[in-house]
Amino acid sequence: MLAYLIRRLWQFVPTLLGVVLLVFILFNWIGGDPAYLLAGKIANPEQIANIRRQLGVDQPYYVQLWLFIEQIATGDFGASWATNEKVSAIFATRLGPSLTVLVPLLLISTLVSMGAAMLAAYKRAAWPDRAIMIGCTLGQSVSILVYIIVFQYVLAYQLGWFPVQGWGSSLAENLFRYSALPVIVGVMVSLAPDTRLYRSFFLDEINQDYVRTARAKGMSEPRVMWIHVLRNAAIPIVTNVMMQLPGLLAGAFLIERFFSIPGIGREVILAVERSDFPVIKAVTVYVAIATMVVNLAADLLYKAIDPRVQLK
Amino acid sequence: MAADPAKILHVTFMAAEAGFDPVKISDYYSGSVVEAIFDPLLTYDYLARPARLVPNTALALPAITDGGRTYTLKVRPGIYFAADPAFKGVKRELVAADYAYSIRRFADPKNRSPYAFLFAGVAALETPDRYTLRIRLKHTDLNFSHVLATQISGAVAREVIEAYGDETNSHPVGTGPFVLAKYVRSSKIVLAASPTYREHYWEGRKLPSLGGVEISIMEETQSRWLAFQRGETDIEYQLWEIAPTFMTGDGRLRPEFEKRGIGLERSIDAEITYTFFNMQETIGGQPNPVGGFSKEKIALRRAIAMAYRVDDQIRIIRKGQAIRARYPIPPGIAGHDPEYAGSIPYDPRTANALLDKFGYKRGHDGYRTLPDGKPLAVRYSSTPTERDRQFDELWKQSLDSIGVRLEIHKDRFPELNKLQDQCRLMMRTSAWIADYPDGDNFMQLLYGPNTGQSNNACYRSAEYDRRYEKSQRLPDGAERNKLYREMTRLMETDTVWMLGDSRYRNVLLQPRVAGFKKHPVLATEWLYLDLKQ
Amino acid sequence: MNPWSLAWTRFRRDRVGLGSFLIVLLYLALVAGAGAGLIARGWEKEAGVSYAPPSFVGRDFKAETSANKNAERQGAHEDSGIVDPLAEDLAEARRSLSGASAAEAKAVTLPFGADKWGRDVLQKTIKGTQTSLLVGFAAALLAVFIGTSLGAFAGYFGGPADDFLNWLYNVFTSIPYLLLILAVAAVLGQKGSLTVVLILGLTGWTGIFRLIRAEYLKHRVREYVQAADAIGASHLRRMFVHILPNASHVVLVQLSLHVVLFIKSEVVLSFLGFGVGVDTVSWGSMLAEAQSELLLGNWWQLASATAAMALLVTAFSLFTDALRDALDPRLK
Repeated sequence: MLAYLIRRLWQFVPTLLGVVLLVFILFNWIGGDPAYLLAGKIANPEQIANIRRQLGVDQPYYVQLWLFIEQIATGDFGASWATNEKVSAIFATRLGPSLTVLVPLLLISTLVSMGAAMLAAYKRAAWPDRAIMIGCTLGQSVSILVYIIVFQYVLAYQLGWFPVQGWGSSLAENLFRYSALPVIVGVMVSLAPDTRLYRSFFLDEINQDYVRTARAKGMSEPRVMWIHVLRNAAIPIVTNVMMQLPGLLAGAFLIERFFSIPGIGREVILAVERSDFPVIKAVTVYVAIATMVVNLAADLLYKAIDPRVQLK
Repeated sequence: MAADPAKILHVTFMAAEAGFDPVKISDYYSGSVVEAIFDPLLTYDYLARPARLVPNTALALPAITDGGRTYTLKVRPGIYFAADPAFKGVKRELVAADYAYSIRRFADPKNRSPYAFLFAGVAALETPDRYTLRIRLKHTDLNFSHVLATQISGAVAREVIEAYGDETNSHPVGTGPFVLAKYVRSSKIVLAASPTYREHYWEGRKLPSLGGVEISIMEETQSRWLAFQRGETDIEYQLWEIAPTFMTGDGRLRPEFEKRGIGLERSIDAEITYTFFNMQETIGGQPNPVGGFSKEKIALRRAIAMAYRVDDQIRIIRKGQAIRARYPIPPGIAGHDPEYAGSIPYDPRTANALLDKFGYKRGHDGYRTLPDGKPLAVRYSSTPTERDRQFDELWKQSLDSIGVRLEIHKDRFPELNKLQDQCRLMMRTSAWIADYPDGDNFMQLLYGPNTGQSNNACYRSAEYDRRYEKSQRLPDGAERNKLYREMTRLMETDTVWMLGDSRYRNVLLQPRVAGFKKHPVLATEWLYLDLKQ
Repeated sequence: MNPWSLAWTRFRRDRVGLGSFLIVLLYLALVAGAGAGLIARGWEKEAGVSYAPPSFVGRDFKAETSANKNAERQGAHEDSGIVDPLAEDLAEARRSLSGASAAEAKAVTLPFGADKWGRDVLQKTIKGTQTSLLVGFAAALLAVFIGTSLGAFAGYFGGPADDFLNWLYNVFTSIPYLLLILAVAAVLGQKGSLTVVLILGLTGWTGIFRLIRAEYLKHRVREYVQAADAIGASHLRRMFVHILPNASHVVLVQLSLHVVLFIKSEVVLSFLGFGVGVDTVSWGSMLAEAQSELLLGNWWQLASATAAMALLVTAFSLFTDALRDALDPRLK
């Protein structure tokens, strides 16, 4: 186990370097000249050269790459090129809003999909199962954009049940007033794929030998489902949720953009639109590290719970 | 009769601010806040139209000597900066040296100011005594007073800049009517009336009458509209997309809103949009099908201009909220000619006949080739936004009606600017907002030596340049207007630009807002507004 | 009986699966028809007035049209002493034209309504079907091709090749999807549908890679592979002639899944501005226009594109499920 852990940690380094290299190449070589963004309406070549010097992009590529690696080691990515705000400050202030939406979203959608999936698995092939599955398929066939646009238009704009967009200053206000509609939309979108996935987890468990043994020994069906199947299926479910989190942080940009939530996803789109390389670098590195850590934790969890699982 | 803390004005910005250090900002929203916090030497009379310069912190308009190369002003004594820890408890008076310091900051490369070009003509700054400022320019500039009235030329204090270093964007300290009371980045900006603002009376009121301004950043149109309808905001003008919802086809407020006492103020923004052709013979080494001065090239440009469906642009893209631009200088700006009727009509039939005549024959796919038989494609550049996609569609339909193939080139905004400066774009729709209310600011866009900067068509015409240089030495008047008309005619006969539109600004006001009159140059009216209780 | 005919027998018995398959075939027929120019030919034509409502809603829905105040100014034009080099040519061109052309009448309502330029939404939807389906299929083929090839190499050879490909996999999956897409889009530039296919295909291979690699790991130690080795089959032959057919059910199901995934991704890409060009229409480009249209109360383009997409994706997903059940009933 320890050897496995060390080996996996050791693999972080080349992966991180690969990510760094890829991002660096793509955004430096192809991705846009921030000097022109910052230069304003009229800029002569002298001013452009000056800006490039200020930002440090006039240095040779290997110097810039080395500086990038140094930044990762120290965790200090400098300041945004567009607003001068410190990148670490950007993360500190934007993480909160993102989590205020994502945590309730993950909690609610996981619980609801687990319930639906259990029902579907339990009533295998009977009409509740088929109805739920077809409902999921139908729900999955509508684009997330349509959910956002229609829900925002009908529930907020027309009916006025929720604020159309925005963010407040207190946690309570944000959690109960501003996060409500974004969470609802997010749950609607993730309900279908999650239910299907969890249903297959439950079915995997139900088909295991120990379930048949328990039934043969006369254990009641609810006890079998709730105590044994649920507990065992909980592991892949929990790891699935964990693995989604890093991706969701940067990936919830559509929801954050439409509802004007000052989170990390929205910051990422802004940074890309403005060619704000320090922010882009930092987000990529943080999410990459988070993804690797979470994947490792998930694999270790599997190994710890089920010794039969072979980790290669 | 001082500022009433209960009178808080609620407004919205549709895009996030960048910061509040005058030397670092370039966007309209940051500029609005800077205008409220800092004081330039001059300003504009709030009500006079056309815009008229009046003194602000200066005692009088500048004395202009040396044939327009030296500007001398005296700062009014007894004006103080708002309190700030950087002043270490001392009540800090505004002096001429503060303006010299503020202007010098624009030239400092470390600040990489987007507006450095406005002050590029300053040769020397002198302060012969505590309150006198003398500015010596490198060349004659009769418009420099306007530069001294822009909001970014407001005075900053050296102590504040040195105390806050890299954080000056979030710690603005000025002598203006408001101070920054609360600031949540990209979300909320709260201004409060400054207790140290000078005695400033206007129409019997001590300004500002407002106790504060609360600004919320709302990027989505429906959010802003809903907030206004619910009475959560007092002024709203960023609703172009849904104008038909509250306005009738002939530009009036719909009765259901009039009944509620909501006011509508319409004005035309001091800007023009236009689509330019790259006038050079080659682009990046390749021959440029739309550039050059031979008759067949002019004919191609002229045909495109005659097929340009500007009315559809106004009707469909602008939802009727714009007027056609027929002159390079928009209404309300000195030098505008309201009688000028453009000489290029919308006439795709004649355009087709013209192209046939010059040998642009149609190929088997229906699209025209060059007279020598080589393929013809016009490359139009735009950004990957939904709004630009509408322009793409408009241009495709316009060019399809004369059988010219259109190629869409997409890139991000700063990239397009870079290529534009290198004269590597063939055709692009652009806009220019007045930096100061004088036509020279618009006519310089076609001046040869400005190629690579503001002359995005890369247009070099000796005839035009000769007239422009002559116009620079004339004040606003009949003589200069005659030159401007000739220059516009040159622009049309060479078909360098296709003029687009100038947009209406429709400002919705809650019944309690008093004293509002949209100014063509000033960013906001907060200093002069009052709220009826 | 070989596994394929067994699968077909199972498939035939699944009524929902069959029904979905028929719907998919119907869509494919639409694609063929649109591609051949038999239907939706005039989708670009401005057949109706701007925002004409659907016929079933009725013509009084939007009674008002905004007056056009921008008529051409009449009157003599002063030429300021500057002569137009084209003056004579223009005059000649005008003389050569005969009479005024009749303005084409524009419909006040259309079956599914019109968009802002007056284009027929029904025709746009059909043409959009062609674009969206072709883009989805092409991208899925590309992703499956890359994922299968790389997965086969990694699973079969193991060792350094596997390590390298795993590293590549880790790098690709660690970068936030949005940034990856934007980076690839920036590299490729904007060439319309081809760019979309490349973006989706080059970033979407990772899931398939992992599954195929697992299959190859499982199969390469099997007896039939060792038997092939004994008779002298080369590595490539073993990989693609012997093992691949046994993994083909995974490949097929993944292909099907990714078609659906990419059709939906194209919508998001169009919203971000990286969709197809203005020379064609897709469901994504229709939905991207929908947000601002809805604010003005014009809902028909949103409804039409969403309904068409929902029907296809549902049918395709149910078909994929039936396919999976038919190919490998143990998975049920």
